[in-house]
Amino acid sequence: MMHFNYIIAMLLITLGLYCLVLKRNLIKLIIGLAILTDGIHMFLISLGYRMEGIAAIVTDEMTSVPSNFAARAVDPVPQALVLTSIVINVCILALALSLSIYAYRYYGTLELEKIRRFKE
Amino acid sequence: MIPHAPILAIFLPLFAAFLMPIIGILSRKRGVNHAREWVAIAAVLAELVIVGSMLSEVLSGQIILYKLGNWDPPWGIALVIDGLGLFAALIVSGISALIVGYSFVSMEKDTGLDQYYTLLMLMLAGMMGVVLTGDVFNLYVFFEIMSIAAYALVAFRRNWQSIEAGLKYLIIGSLGTSFIILGVAFLYGLAGSLNIAHLAQNLPFLPATTLILPLGLFVIGLGIKIAMVPLHMWMPDAYQAAPPPVAALFSGATATVGLYAMLRVVYMLFGAFGIGAMLAGLGLVTMVLGALMALVQRDLKRLLAYSSISQIGYVLAGVGLGTTLGIQGGLFHLLNNAIYKTMLFMIAGTVVYRVGTSNMDKLGGLWKNMPVTGALFGVGALAISGVPPLNGFASKWTIYMAGVEAGQGGHWPGYAITVIALITSALTLAYFLKAFSNIFLGQRPGHLADVKESPRSMMFPIMLLGVLCVVFGILPQIGIDLVRPAQEALMNSGGYISAGLGGM
Amino acid sequence: MAGMSPIVRTTARLLFPFTFLFGAYVVIHGHLTPGGGFPGGVIIAASFVMLVLAYGIERAQERVGFTRAEVLESIGGLTIAILGLFGLLAGVAFLQNVFPLGEFGRLFSGGNLPLLYLAVGVKVTAGILLIFYAMLFGFGGEE
Repeated sequence: MMHFNYIIAMLLITLGLYCLVLKRNLIKLIIGLAILTDGIHMFLISLGYRMEGIAAIVTDEMTSVPSNFAARAVDPVPQALVLTSIVINVCILALALSLSIYAYRYYGTLELEKIRRFKE
Repeated sequence: MIPHAPILAIFLPLFAAFLMPIIGILSRKRGVNHAREWVAIAAVLAELVIVGSMLSEVLSGQIILYKLGNWDPPWGIALVIDGLGLFAALIVSGISALIVGYSFVSMEKDTGLDQYYTLLMLMLAGMMGVVLTGDVFNLYVFFEIMSIAAYALVAFRRNWQSIEAGLKYLIIGSLGTSFIILGVAFLYGLAGSLNIAHLAQNLPFLPATTLILPLGLFVIGLGIKIAMVPLHMWMPDAYQAAPPPVAALFSGATATVGLYAMLRVVYMLFGAFGIGAMLAGLGLVTMVLGALMALVQRDLKRLLAYSSISQIGYVLAGVGLGTTLGIQGGLFHLLNNAIYKTMLFMIAGTVVYRVGTSNMDKLGGLWKNMPVTGALFGVGALAISGVPPLNGFASKWTIYMAGVEAGQGGHWPGYAITVIALITSALTLAYFLKAFSNIFLGQRPGHLADVKESPRSMMFPIMLLGVLCVVFGILPQIGIDLVRPAQEALMNSGGYISAGLGGM
Repeated sequence: MAGMSPIVRTTARLLFPFTFLFGAYVVIHGHLTPGGGFPGGVIIAASFVMLVLAYGIERAQERVGFTRAEVLESIGGLTIAILGLFGLLAGVAFLQNVFPLGEFGRLFSGGNLPLLYLAVGVKVTAGILLIFYAMLFGFGGEE
């Protein structure tokens, strides 16, 4: 069961890539982007996860026996990374959605085929 | 070195970015004109001073290690500045200073300039962060800061073109950064560290097969960011739709930052895996296809965008050779490309400013109206095509020589690189001659009769870059001397590792 | 944008102080418990968004207008930057914790951490609100 989360992470990443490559609707593309990054976050968190681990918060009880802490705590670095990444993704999704609102206002549609192509 | 210079170089533009909305509101209340512009100019000039102050240490062969929050590497985040990083930082801060000066007049007709300067400063902070950091996740974060500002800047004018280009850039670019962070995650899982020096120390001990996946992820992710063929689809649209100063900033500074990240991550971390041949091969494809696509363009900005793609190919091919001469040539070309490509985009901006279009079918005969602009465009076009005695020739010559040298050393693809690079140069000359004659020579449409010469404040940065083109062309030794520390830094990963880990 | 039915309005009005308080709690206890500036800021912003949805944009604008949100966001960012500068002024490193650490586990402890979380909370609240307003008005998505 240990590798279950990795499988799910990879499934999410594949699903996101599938959406990004094959879907032709702006909102679906953005959803694909969100799923893709969620898969990556899942993967990152799994890297630092440990069965029956404890939160990596240093309390008095923990500092008295440092080796005990190191043996039981989950790796906090991926959690920090994921938090940062989530914040970045909020910005990207917000920007993407606002631009989609504009695109909808100009073209009246979110289908990529109907949005006018750039002239060469 | 100014004390704390490395962090100040990132902090200052960030501070200016946060300050910008407040300044905008205050200056509107008080009725002060151009307050934002002057703050932005002050910020970029101070930035240039800060980056320049690190020059003497780095030129003397030192590698600066700055520990954020005083945490020792590899646990804390460290800023590591070696010759390569400072080289890129100098290009970025120099180009940004010129761009901000150029924006003063170029953007005066636009509204929402608070946001424009905020985004410009954010982008500068992101770019400085990428080139100065010594931590691979930090690199990703700054890359995202830079990219988000870039997406918003492409869509800044909010007409149909820029929104479409911005969305395209955003989705493809985010896909690229997703690949980068997935690569970072794999590296962390494999080596348990994020510090570039620590990673470079540990990765060679891992089985090579496990590193193929992160390597591929990084190459694709960064390849999207530097618009390497076949991942370049977003670039012409973005460059065409972005406001002219932004397009100039992209082609000069952002491309440099992307290439820097490519060299730092791919070359330094995976250097032991024969990465050079792959980079050279991708570089050749990029070079040729970019030039071929540029030949058929009808829009000046689009032509310049494809030409940017082609020039990036030169840098990759030169560096991919892996020899001292090749890397010197590649990096020298990176510097030259930043100079003349920024200049050409700025000229395209002045043409758009005066005429209102960059479609070459609707232009013509502008030589009589703007002779100085025309002459400078000529200088830039000849420089980019590698005509002596301009700077493009100096760096391309170095790359040719490196190719021949590799060929004589028994690696026949070296000759191939030289031949293909020569042919591409001829193509470059062809499409720039076409652009020049379409814009400045030939029949002048009647409504262009009273077009004036470009405004002086827009001309100044262009002239400065034009002078640099000539100086580096006549005295290539200056350029080579500037590039040598960067080349030595790139080839001396041992020094980077020991310095980046605090001399451990 | 007009408001919604009285039921929604009343519920939103009743829920607003509690949501706001919970967000503030998450922000202020950022250095002690899971959470912190970003989640807390999002919760606070969500409380405002709830009001906007229930009452219409005009009423919410009376509380936090577009300009004020913009200023608040800048102030949040500037505070983080200035807090970082304290480390430099004290002669050590950027963002180094130079304030007294206090007693472990107390509210007023951890040096500059609570202040940083507060600044992040203000910035995120204002930022999310700005995004929301921008999408409503169509000022564009400049974050």
